[in-house]
Amino acid sequence: MNARSVAILLALVGMYIAVPLLLGPNLYVMSLLVASIAIGGVALAWALLGNLGGMVSFGHAAFFGVGSYVSALLSMKLGVPVFAAMFLGGVGAAVASIAMLPTLRLKGPYFALAILAYAQIFRILATEWKSVTGGSGGLSSIPRLPEIAGFDFGSKVGNYLVIVTIVLIFALIYERIRASHYGIALRAMHDSEDATRIVGVNSTFLKAMMLFVSAFMTGVVGAFNAHYINFLEPDYGFSGLWSTIPIVAAIFGGYRTILGPVIGAVFVYLIDQLVFKSYIPSGHQIMLGALLAGMVLFSPTGLLPWIVEKFKRSRHAAA
Amino acid sequence: MKNIRNHLAAIIVAGTAFGVVPAHAEEFLVGSEVPLTGTLARVGTGMKEGIEVAADVFNRRNGKHKVKIVTVDDESSPAKAVAAVEKLASQGVVALTGGYGSNNIGPASDAANKANLVYMTSGGVDENLSQRGYKTFFRINNTAGYSTAMVGLLADMGAKSVSIVTSTKEAPADLAKDVEKILKAKGIKVVVHSFDPAITDFKPIINKVKLQDKSEIIAMVGYENDYVGIIRAAKVLKPEVKAMVGVWSLATAKMASDFPDLMPNVYGTALLPYPAEFKTAEGKEFAETYKKLFNKEPDYLGQFGYVQSMLLFEAIARAADAGTLKTGGLPAELRKSDKETLIGRVKFDDKGDNPFFSHRMGQHQSGKVAVVWPKDSATGKMNFPAVPW
Repeated sequence: MNARSVAILLALVGMYIAVPLLLGPNLYVMSLLVASIAIGGVALAWALLGNLGGMVSFGHAAFFGVGSYVSALLSMKLGVPVFAAMFLGGVGAAVASIAMLPTLRLKGPYFALAILAYAQIFRILATEWKSVTGGSGGLSSIPRLPEIAGFDFGSKVGNYLVIVTIVLIFALIYERIRASHYGIALRAMHDSEDATRIVGVNSTFLKAMMLFVSAFMTGVVGAFNAHYINFLEPDYGFSGLWSTIPIVAAIFGGYRTILGPVIGAVFVYLIDQLVFKSYIPSGHQIMLGALLAGMVLFSPTGLLPWIVEKFKRSRHAAA
Repeated sequence: MKNIRNHLAAIIVAGTAFGVVPAHAEEFLVGSEVPLTGTLARVGTGMKEGIEVAADVFNRRNGKHKVKIVTVDDESSPAKAVAAVEKLASQGVVALTGGYGSNNIGPASDAANKANLVYMTSGGVDENLSQRGYKTFFRINNTAGYSTAMVGLLADMGAKSVSIVTSTKEAPADLAKDVEKILKAKGIKVVVHSFDPAITDFKPIINKVKLQDKSEIIAMVGYENDYVGIIRAAKVLKPEVKAMVGVWSLATAKMASDFPDLMPNVYGTALLPYPAEFKTAEGKEFAETYKKLFNKEPDYLGQFGYVQSMLLFEAIARAADAGTLKTGGLPAELRKSDKETLIGRVKFDDKGDNPFFSHRMGQHQSGKVAVVWPKDSATGKMNFPAVPW
């Protein structure tokens, strides 16, 4: 077993055994962990679209909102089991992203702004389609995660295990795509899309696929959040914060890496809520802002690459 | 790496140290989960001030029991509202007072119910909140109280036609629907114009009111920025209406001082005239304490925060005396409350709602706010017909 395998095994033991055992009784800390990992899931999906699709999105709130509404409505109105509804929430977000395909012709800030507009359109649809979505009043008493084989997934530890598993699966999918032939083609598109087209790569198709995958992932996380919070309204489900906070987390953690966005989200959220907020109960965000600015200045590649670099140097020095 | 370890150690220490807050033998910890930052910061801060005034007054009046408020900012976020309630529960609070915005109150009161803690609020009027069957959820106000006041004023004006200009946000949309239904039942012609909260130019809507509806009254249901936009557009287009009537956050001292050119003769819900006048001993004590603590005139947010918290503190004291506080007796004690308060009579029904809640209507008059409806609470005479232009 090499060092990488040992590290992965330790991380899995930590996430699935140590955290529930040590922190499980502390509902407050578990709440923060669940919320931060959910943001990490969206950050991972955002980074996938940026790294593999070459598209910077300001509109992931659209996928988050669609996923949460689809899942909530399927479980509430049609009685679809919650886990199946969450998967279908992801499918719903991917289907909704079909409407965004015309924006793939745009590049850079034009794509970012166009997708931001889509998020607004979906929010207004959720507000106005009152007969289905409940309009601005939203949906309350959304079913919580179920109890299966005597284990309550709706408990705090259950919610934690579900979101950790979702995000790990997504990280694995991201890794597999990146390592595949498609991943090589997608990365080549970063350097020159025209050149890759000349050698036969269907760049528009690949970008569309990455948009679907990213939308699906964000939709599933949105669906999870709806069943975790048990309440949903257009202004919350499609809030711009679901677009901006994951970007901040991804950049802080290292958006070029797979786990950087998730680690960034968990680190930023926990340090803000547990440390900064205990010193400055109201207005602690100023310290978070300073931390983010410091990270961008001192390690533009993000937290995870910085940790890896430090680790390599210390091993090199020891050798 | 060392730094990372230090950060992690700080997180773990901070996270596990929340369980212990020393409390005096007769002192009860009461949690307050309110938005002090984010989009609801202004209203949350107003409610927090009222809660602090209630604690100060209660502790002076009540020799036997004291309360201590522990406040956590929910940052106007549902997930952080849940975390705030769970943090307060772990600190050993006996109940919670606060909450603003139905999207925050819903999940926060869910978490409180799971922890078997009473959740008392005045910050959300969503009907669904009190339909969940929670024995721990209590609310002193509701949509019906606002619609009663608005419709009552319009009836006293003898309005024959009303154009309702309403935000699509949850609370305004619910209230507008209620008002429309009641007015139509009274045979009054009603036209509703819904607007997205993001819009700032209301001239197209006001033009419709002027040219198509030709209504006597414009009823505005939204928030501060919406009112300013609507009245500004009306001042430009000058529709032939007899009154501009709004609801919350409009007949306030802040609006009178910030927009002296837009506010004259505009109506809005108001528990208090401005400058504040209190006739009861409790009202005077509230106002004096408010001025002492915050060096300013009390407003309606503080008044709601005060009333909800004082009812809660008094019930806590009664439950403690009866020995039922630690055995889940607080909800039953709150249901026994039947009191004439600064916002009128409060008595909770089985769902935790206050069916006696009815607001009052005020009118901006010469830089002041006079309460003009209902007649038995009026501090001034209604200027009608009268508009800001």
